[in-house]
Amino acid sequence: MTYKIYSSQDFPAYLPKLNTLFDDLFSGGKGFRSKLIGLVSVPLAVPPLSQNLLAQTIEFIHNASLLHDDLVDRSPLRRGKKTAWLKYTPEYAVLAGDYLLARVMVNLSAYGNIKLVQYTSEMISDLLEGEWLQDSIIGDYFVNLEQLDLIHNLKTSSLFKWCLRAPFISIQKYDADLHFILNEMGSILGQLFQRSDDLLDYGIRNDEAKAVLGDLKSGYLNSFGCFMARTMNGAQRGQLVKCKSLADVHHCFSDDAEKARVIFTQKVEAFDQLNIKLIDLYNHHLENLDKLLVDDEKNLIHNLRPLTEILYWRRKPRA
Amino acid sequence: MPTHYVTLKKSDTNFFEYLWGANPNGEHNALPKTQRAIPVKTYNLGTPEESVTFELKNITDTKKPSFFVFASSLIKLNSFVLILLPLLYILTKNFITKNLTDPLAILLAALSAVLLFAGFNIRNDVNDHTSGFDRVNLGTSCKPIQMGWISAHKAARLSLILILISGVLALPVVFLHPQLLWIIVFSFVLFFIGRFTKNNSYKQQHLGEFILFILAGPALVLGYQVAMGAGLDVQAVSFGTLWGFGVLFLIQINNFSHIMTSSQAGIKNTMTQLGFDRAQKFLVLSWVLFLIFWILFHYYFANIYWLIFGSLLLVFCSVPFFKKILNIKSPMGSDLPHIRNKAHKTFLLMGCLFIAEIFWSLGLLLWTNAH
Repeated sequence: MTYKIYSSQDFPAYLPKLNTLFDDLFSGGKGFRSKLIGLVSVPLAVPPLSQNLLAQTIEFIHNASLLHDDLVDRSPLRRGKKTAWLKYTPEYAVLAGDYLLARVMVNLSAYGNIKLVQYTSEMISDLLEGEWLQDSIIGDYFVNLEQLDLIHNLKTSSLFKWCLRAPFISIQKYDADLHFILNEMGSILGQLFQRSDDLLDYGIRNDEAKAVLGDLKSGYLNSFGCFMARTMNGAQRGQLVKCKSLADVHHCFSDDAEKARVIFTQKVEAFDQLNIKLIDLYNHHLENLDKLLVDDEKNLIHNLRPLTEILYWRRKPRA
Repeated sequence: MPTHYVTLKKSDTNFFEYLWGANPNGEHNALPKTQRAIPVKTYNLGTPEESVTFELKNITDTKKPSFFVFASSLIKLNSFVLILLPLLYILTKNFITKNLTDPLAILLAALSAVLLFAGFNIRNDVNDHTSGFDRVNLGTSCKPIQMGWISAHKAARLSLILILISGVLALPVVFLHPQLLWIIVFSFVLFFIGRFTKNNSYKQQHLGEFILFILAGPALVLGYQVAMGAGLDVQAVSFGTLWGFGVLFLIQINNFSHIMTSSQAGIKNTMTQLGFDRAQKFLVLSWVLFLIFWILFHYYFANIYWLIFGSLLLVFCSVPFFKKILNIKSPMGSDLPHIRNKAHKTFLLMGCLFIAEIFWSLGLLLWTNAH
């Protein structure tokens, strides 16, 4: 199912550069979050107009966070293109992000489901808290994985949780047990997505050939970096944070290149093991979710089961 | 092998068996004896009490530590300085002033206090496990129940046994020194207020902070003092207040180190009420106040050399702590465990100064007697 996320008619044409900025912003990206809305909404028979609203909402919020995030991080590129704050101005980037968030609230309040408005506002607050906290630990190379997980739960998982729960809220299914499970599943999906993204930064499963070590170079020890560093001594850790290439990262473990590569691979495998446990937990929640669904709703399980393959292993699900 | 999980609601019949590791009679109906159910951490803080997901672990697969590591982490051996140093101080003070009239009573009282403290430490871990506190907060210390080394049921039983033995040991002391009964009754009333009133719970900790100050400070020290048959005196009361203030400071530091998760879980204590920025200043102010109390205490009850050199040393060593705490940038990073560590070291230094003072005074007394 494809949704119409952005239309220039929805935004005032008299504002200079606003629509050009949004054209640029919405033309890239895989739109995974809106696809997730579709995966949840279709089995629940959410009306198409509501589905479109939900898909638009999540993409607007996500893209607003990207506009702000790129400026906060001073990132020059987004999806291979010049970032909005550089191409236009930092002021326009901030205001365009704010505009998207305002539009979300206008659309949702017109829709009239107050619980959806409340939950969406809470999600935006979580997202901002996560961004704020992440910014506060820049340059902290001794942060631990447990702490990072908490930040990622706010920053990344909040959107995934929303994608799972909002379609249920839109059809006024508020069952506490159901939402408990969806919350837990959303947390895990966000965690897995973030950890997989962090592995990309170290060249692992980097099929899209994204630039490596971006996080480390900008002073941020990501989840895989944290995982590697927890058994490192002070000198190794000092060496890690100065790495400019993957060879430098390997070199932190041993002077012998082959031995270093083997140790690095073992670290990746151990990290994968940690996440396989998380995937098991996701599948456990999926089984519990199945018990709470009726009739055609059960197709949701079929739609949600492959997500860990896509998000963590970055591969197409097995048939 | 996939990891096995079970999710249960509080209303489920097996919930308490999984949470406690056995049903109330110590039997295993749903959870096999060979397995331990460890609650999985949750990031969805609004619903910690509703449903709990347990990871099922085979006891044989759980890495067993040495007995010493197990026992010391179970009873929190490293926190015993909090009750042993006041004992040493009061003992020496009364020995020097020749008020130590009943060595047997003090031996029993000391043993009783040690067992009671161990019992309460274990019970505290049990409460953190069963209340859901462990599932929403970042781990700061090694907790045997969370590690699967012991079930909550066994830990609770062990804690009860230790507390009972402590009570039995305290009985003869109470007979020998009936005034002690008042302190024990007062302490227990405070403890039960702290434990069971609505004003104080795992979410509402203001009253608990005050009660801990009283119990860990004045009540403990006066208990020792009375058990020695020395009666109440100003020095003991002052020392108890100073000590209680120091312990309270450590608690505040600990609360500060998980201010974010506590705030998100809706836990109300001084740190979460003040917020990150003001809490930093509050902690600095608290330690400054402690230093002032320390100086005043030594002005009245110690010799001039300890007043000057001890205070200077403590103030000097507190400077890095002040700097560190005012420079913390995040409620989430590595600075928090760091600052807790630094605060504990500064507190320990203060304890060491007291010990040095004690031995200095003893040495001086023995030297004077010998000449």
